[in-house]
Amino acid sequence: MADVTRSEDHAGQKRTAKSAPKEMSAWSQLQTNRNWLGMWFMLPAGLFLILFLAYPLGLGVWLSFTDARLGRAGEFIGLENYAWLIGDFTEGWKFWEIGDPVFWLSVFNTLLYTVVASAIKFGIGLYLALLLNKHMPFKAIIRAVVLIPFIVPTVLSAIAFWWIFDTQFSILTWMLQEVGAIAEDYQVNWLGEPLMARASVIFANIWRGVPFIAITLLAGLQTVPPSLYEASVIDGATRWQMFRYITYPLLTPIIAVVMTFSVLFTFTDFQLIWVLTRGGPVNTTHLMATLSYQRAILGGNLGEGAAISTAMIPFLLAAIMFSWFGLQRRKWQHGEAND
Amino acid sequence: MTDATPSAAKDDHSEGMQYLETPLNRVITLWIPLIIIMIVLLFPFYWMSLTAIKPDKELIDLETTHPLWTWSPTFKHIRILLFETEYPTWLWNTMSIAMGATILSLIASVGAAYAIARIKYRGANWVGGAIFLAYLVPPSILFIPLASIIVDYGLFDTPFALILTYPTILIPFSTWLLMGYFKTIPFELEECALIDGATRWQILTKIVLPLAIPGLISAFIFCFTLCWNEYIYALTFISSPSNKTVPVAIVTSFTDGDIFRWGSIMAGALIGSLPLVILYAFFVEHYVAAMTGAVKE
Amino acid sequence: MSFTRRRFLGTSAMAGAMIAGGDLLGRSRAWAATEMKWTPEDGASLQLLRWKRFVQSEEDAFLKLVAAFTDATGVQVEVLNESLDDVQPKASVAANVGSGPDMFWGLYSLPHLFPEKCMDVSDVCDHIGSKYGGWAPSAETYGKSGDSWIAVPVAYNANLINYRKSAIEEAGFSEMPGDTEGFLELCKALQGIGKPAGMALGHASGDGNAWVHWALWSHGGYLVDENDQVIINSPETEAALNYAKALFDSWIPGTASWNDAFNNKAFLAEEVWLTNNGVSIYAAAKRQAGEDAKMAEIAEDMDHAFWPIGPSSTPAEFHICYPLLGMSYTPYPNAVKAFMQFMMEVENYEPWCEGAVAYLSHPYKAGDDFAFWDADPKLVAAKPAAWRTSTAGHLGSVGERAAAALADFIVLDMLANVCTGRQTPEGAMKLAERQAKRLYRA
Repeated sequence: MADVTRSEDHAGQKRTAKSAPKEMSAWSQLQTNRNWLGMWFMLPAGLFLILFLAYPLGLGVWLSFTDARLGRAGEFIGLENYAWLIGDFTEGWKFWEIGDPVFWLSVFNTLLYTVVASAIKFGIGLYLALLLNKHMPFKAIIRAVVLIPFIVPTVLSAIAFWWIFDTQFSILTWMLQEVGAIAEDYQVNWLGEPLMARASVIFANIWRGVPFIAITLLAGLQTVPPSLYEASVIDGATRWQMFRYITYPLLTPIIAVVMTFSVLFTFTDFQLIWVLTRGGPVNTTHLMATLSYQRAILGGNLGEGAAISTAMIPFLLAAIMFSWFGLQRRKWQHGEAND
Repeated sequence: MTDATPSAAKDDHSEGMQYLETPLNRVITLWIPLIIIMIVLLFPFYWMSLTAIKPDKELIDLETTHPLWTWSPTFKHIRILLFETEYPTWLWNTMSIAMGATILSLIASVGAAYAIARIKYRGANWVGGAIFLAYLVPPSILFIPLASIIVDYGLFDTPFALILTYPTILIPFSTWLLMGYFKTIPFELEECALIDGATRWQILTKIVLPLAIPGLISAFIFCFTLCWNEYIYALTFISSPSNKTVPVAIVTSFTDGDIFRWGSIMAGALIGSLPLVILYAFFVEHYVAAMTGAVKE
Repeated sequence: MSFTRRRFLGTSAMAGAMIAGGDLLGRSRAWAATEMKWTPEDGASLQLLRWKRFVQSEEDAFLKLVAAFTDATGVQVEVLNESLDDVQPKASVAANVGSGPDMFWGLYSLPHLFPEKCMDVSDVCDHIGSKYGGWAPSAETYGKSGDSWIAVPVAYNANLINYRKSAIEEAGFSEMPGDTEGFLELCKALQGIGKPAGMALGHASGDGNAWVHWALWSHGGYLVDENDQVIINSPETEAALNYAKALFDSWIPGTASWNDAFNNKAFLAEEVWLTNNGVSIYAAAKRQAGEDAKMAEIAEDMDHAFWPIGPSSTPAEFHICYPLLGMSYTPYPNAVKAFMQFMMEVENYEPWCEGAVAYLSHPYKAGDDFAFWDADPKLVAAKPAAWRTSTAGHLGSVGERAAAALADFIVLDMLANVCTGRQTPEGAMKLAERQAKRLYRA
């Protein structure tokens, strides 16, 4: 990417220099029109988001302050839903005692799920991207095949995983027994034990998430000019140094976007958990999204469900802020300095 | 820019020539890890394919038959899927809904990303962050208020209920992705065109978009797949069997109360994914080519 | 009234033996001319969303019934299927936005989640009830909100002990023990001979809820009392929890992750030899018996039993009720009522139920005379489901709060917490009490 910018820099400067007299007027014209132009280009996206999102978003937050139930608009009850879920801090500070333990468990689960799954997805995704970036036969086919887990509809692949993680008919258990890793009559309790169940759902999430991360990072890798590597080899750089000082910095903007979204989508994951465990065993895999669905749609307490959803906002906001002000912005300012 | 490169040169060590790989080295650093990852990624897929052609009774029999293979494949499940259900209709619905929503999202995102990244109107940065807010309320609960809007607009149980709501989850991501790609295209190109009297629209379509093709493909793959996968909206906004999408219809059609008809469910998942695999195989190749092209230009 | 009832009971006995399409159509035209109490609106057409059938022959019989209704009244009825778990979100959306199918046929206390959005069908239910010997008490509880009926409790899915006769004989029992202590002994003995029992303890709305409520109620523990006051934290509950823990420990490992589908599979694969389920395992085994000798053997060897009686000395069973509700937004309320009446008339209801091979049990007295109950002695245990079952709130009301408690798996999670050893009985009861108090707050 940097190389593109640089080579175009030269070309651009040449041409700019040639037509210098006209430059000012074109730019000033642009300046005056800029806000209007921006609005026109924003219009389609803006319309969609306002028509289909602003209202439900607002309503969702509003619902969390009411005792609304299915089919019945509720009355405003202030922070009652939150006091119940999070805890009324006038009563003490031990939030796991004064709040709803199931809610706090789901917060913990969600954070654990997001952090572990995203970190591993990133690690494997980047590694896979680096592997795929090498020269090899059947490159295109291998790259397309890698995308398969991403293509199969989530709910259906979740059903397949459900079968793979079955307590009695798990193919994984069978294979472990065949290779002698576990006793012949021992059944691994994939989804029945809290720790194992968490690991299993995280594995399924990683399985689904890695391909897209890998392919998007691969796209980023393609933009790194080979000349940089050649130069560094001549300078005697190690492979790690090449990665650390060339690949990684150039990849950062794409990593930032992909990982922000990976975190957002993992945090709000619903289908996978819902198919695999319904939040069981004993709520140890309940995420905030599944809990809010359970309380709002199955239990009918729209208000409380909306409050759980709304409680996700600060976390998501933090993830966005981190990406926006941390990674993303720094890189862009960096890029702008080039112009 | 690569301000770090010189420091890499400074940390000179003696192992520099490792770059030239021996065949053995290549097996260890490339093929072994790649094959392991591929096996893990593809095993569930293999398992699904196998389930789709296994006779029912072999499914729960781990002793007398080999669970990783079948000697008596049956096309019963696939036949049921193709000829005794409306599967072709569902596939067509899913395709057209995903296509419609993806194209709408890409058009909207290209405009928004260009405006934020390049026109830089007042408050552009602020809007760039605000677009993210779309993800703040997850669909697991959003569908209830959204359903009232769908009904108000008279879209309930039509494909447009999905074509018009999916962009809300697609636009933010594609906008951000495209913003990233637009930023890599040098300003000078645009300036020249402006000076030569091109309009912003011409610049976007003639200069910026061709250069951002890898980004567009990436965004396309993401959007299309997300539409393809979506479950809650598709479940709740569509009720006629002939308007359903593949994931919802498969789950409904092949669960009998508390019994899952595994074979047909898996066959449905696979046959539905086949067109995508082919489509993406083509795209990914193009993707790489486009990238290289962009670098050369 | 009594004349018609006798007449229909007579004909239905014959119809039960053979479902003849032409006969059904002829009768239904006569019905529309003489018996139909509500005349459908001109140009009426209906959409009915139901859960996906367990057994194909039930759906066939149901569609035949629907076709007969259309033929007799000219009202088109479109039947939409959704899997069991997906009925509720769809009904929730429809109730909330006031648009969607005219009728929903769902589970348990679905209508009580949004009673204001359900049509008042008191006249239909009173008519059917008095015509066919009265509703079972539980049916009345499920169907009524306050004094008016908000849904027709169409049928029950009996949840019974499914067991292999050979296994319990091998374990040293001549028959299924009828009491909870004996049942525990049996489970332990089954574990001893390597043919364990197992019941779902995941978030399984059908089988899971059925057995945990049995464990609780059979020991005299209840979530709420008659006045909807939370009384879960009690010595009886503690006894139930200890009992459940003992049971759980004797079962096949892994039941904490089971949902409604797992036990079917495990039973047919001879991994578990005793579980709780509807009669659909038996139906599945019988269906495949022709091509698979093992299935034939399972069908031959298995049987169903009532739930054992515990210290509370009363049946503590929890069968799934399937209520049919009309949405208040429908433009054709009379057509809805006519359909409900038609569907519940014995001459239509009986052949349909027969198609269900006993996984649907009747909610009114006249059903006791259905001929098909005598056809297979293994299915008889499903016959009195409507009379033996308790309702979702048990002592308390069946309302939105009971529905929410069920949906939130309060009782199930309490047992699961103890069985998996995550919490002591005291801790689990406290947690459940706290959550229940919140749901039952004034």
